[in-house]
Amino acid sequence: MSSPEVYQLAIGTPITCHAFNKDRTQLAVSPNSNDVEIYQKGRTGQWELLHTLAKHDRMVTGIDWAPNTNRLVTCSQDRNAYVWDWDGKKWEPNLCLLRINRAATFVQWSPKEDKFAVASGARLISVCYFEQENNWWVSKHIKKPIRSTITSIAWHPDNMLLAAGSTDMKARVFSAYIKGVDSPRTYPLWGEKLPFNTLCGEFGSEGGGWVHSVGFSPSGDSVAWVSHDSTLSIAHGRDSVPVEVPTGGLPLVSMIWTSETSIVAVGHDCTPFLFALRGQQWEVIGKLDQGQKKAAASSSAFKMFQQMDSRAQQQNNEVELNTTHQNTITCVRAYAGSPDHVTKFSTSGVDGKLVIWDLLSSGMAGLSI
Amino acid sequence: MAHRKVNVDQYADEDIFVDENQTAQGSTAVSAQTEADVDARAGEVRNYLSRGDTPAAVIKALENPPAGREVTAVKDKNTATVMSALAAARSTDILAIVKSLDSKQTDVLMKYIYRGMASPELYNAAVLLAWHEKTVEVAGLGSIVRVLTDRRTV
Repeated sequence: MSSPEVYQLAIGTPITCHAFNKDRTQLAVSPNSNDVEIYQKGRTGQWELLHTLAKHDRMVTGIDWAPNTNRLVTCSQDRNAYVWDWDGKKWEPNLCLLRINRAATFVQWSPKEDKFAVASGARLISVCYFEQENNWWVSKHIKKPIRSTITSIAWHPDNMLLAAGSTDMKARVFSAYIKGVDSPRTYPLWGEKLPFNTLCGEFGSEGGGWVHSVGFSPSGDSVAWVSHDSTLSIAHGRDSVPVEVPTGGLPLVSMIWTSETSIVAVGHDCTPFLFALRGQQWEVIGKLDQGQKKAAASSSAFKMFQQMDSRAQQQNNEVELNTTHQNTITCVRAYAGSPDHVTKFSTSGVDGKLVIWDLLSSGMAGLSI
Repeated sequence: MAHRKVNVDQYADEDIFVDENQTAQGSTAVSAQTEADVDARAGEVRNYLSRGDTPAAVIKALENPPAGREVTAVKDKNTATVMSALAAARSTDILAIVKSLDSKQTDVLMKYIYRGMASPELYNAAVLLAWHEKTVEVAGLGSIVRVLTDRRTV
């Protein structure tokens, strides 16, 4: 097993979220503050701070980097979203009118990069697009039937449908069709007539548990979500009954599809989990971080007095986990490969680490996924 | 602290908060049928126990639990049934019984373990702790997390 690439970007500060540019030479992170930091991979292989984008005045909750247009979009608890354009010298912010009265929680570019969607605590999703005549990013609201904060959104690969997870325990699929931006089309699995805000599926789990993260499969035929009841659920089309995969661990908070039949999810267990469709059944395949046994911390009385003597420590407060991440992982993104065959993925978490994992060599290579 | 008592939702121009718990998915309706089911199950569990078939009694007791906010009396009765089955098991048999359950059943079992521990005056916490230990061993911490999030309380 080749070990993952580990970068300690922030010390003592969580990384709220991260996003890479297209060629993975630059990285945007939110260090749990109102700044967005842009890093460049230096010659030494370490990430060097290049720019700090200070425009938001509350914590930045979401970042997404459009690979082809090379635009950044950020959203924050100050209820604003900015689209950042690189003009060759610096990042130029453009405010987008979200028209929300609660914090923005998540943002994602559509696959064609002509729209983006912002989730918020105002029980709505702002779907934003560029209006040529006004030279301005404007938004349309998806409101019904959302009853609580939207925590996560994901675009269908076809640029039109939108999946959203919410704290009202539901995952939903909406049409985000914008006249003049999209050409109308239909989906056999999700619906025929799809004007803006059409509900194309509403799924809840029996047990409940608010939804942390959603994702469309590479084909767009299935939607999966992870919720606070430590469960991964997958639905195939609007009228399907979701498949539920309960795990034996703590709740998962972020997920990506790594192929049409496999999912990587991360969360409070500090290690990525691999799920896969085997035969007809979705299963937990295992942890992708097998962990290394650290030298066993001796808790003998001798050791304690030795520490008191040599380091003036009353007790050993440093708890080190066997996993690479030392705290909750809050964000997972595809790093290399194509959407239907992700070979590497990146994670960031509360421990301030950014880790790049190789899916193939992470001890699961022997499994046919 | 007066502002803490202000219901901020009434100043919002959006629709106000609606309590959906009564109609929450999976909650049991109050009806004679529910009560009859619970009574019948109690009888069957008693039968299994008198024959000494504790594993079957536990599995039967965990079937189709009444849940929700409305059916307190029925829930109490069903809890007593589950507890009688759990208390009957020898401590050496617990692991084997838990291993024979599927993931849905272990989740229900965990809910009843916590329900029982909430009334220490009625149920023996030492027995429940033994069950708790084995259930976590088999089903992991996830089963506890699901007790915490599940709105279908038993």
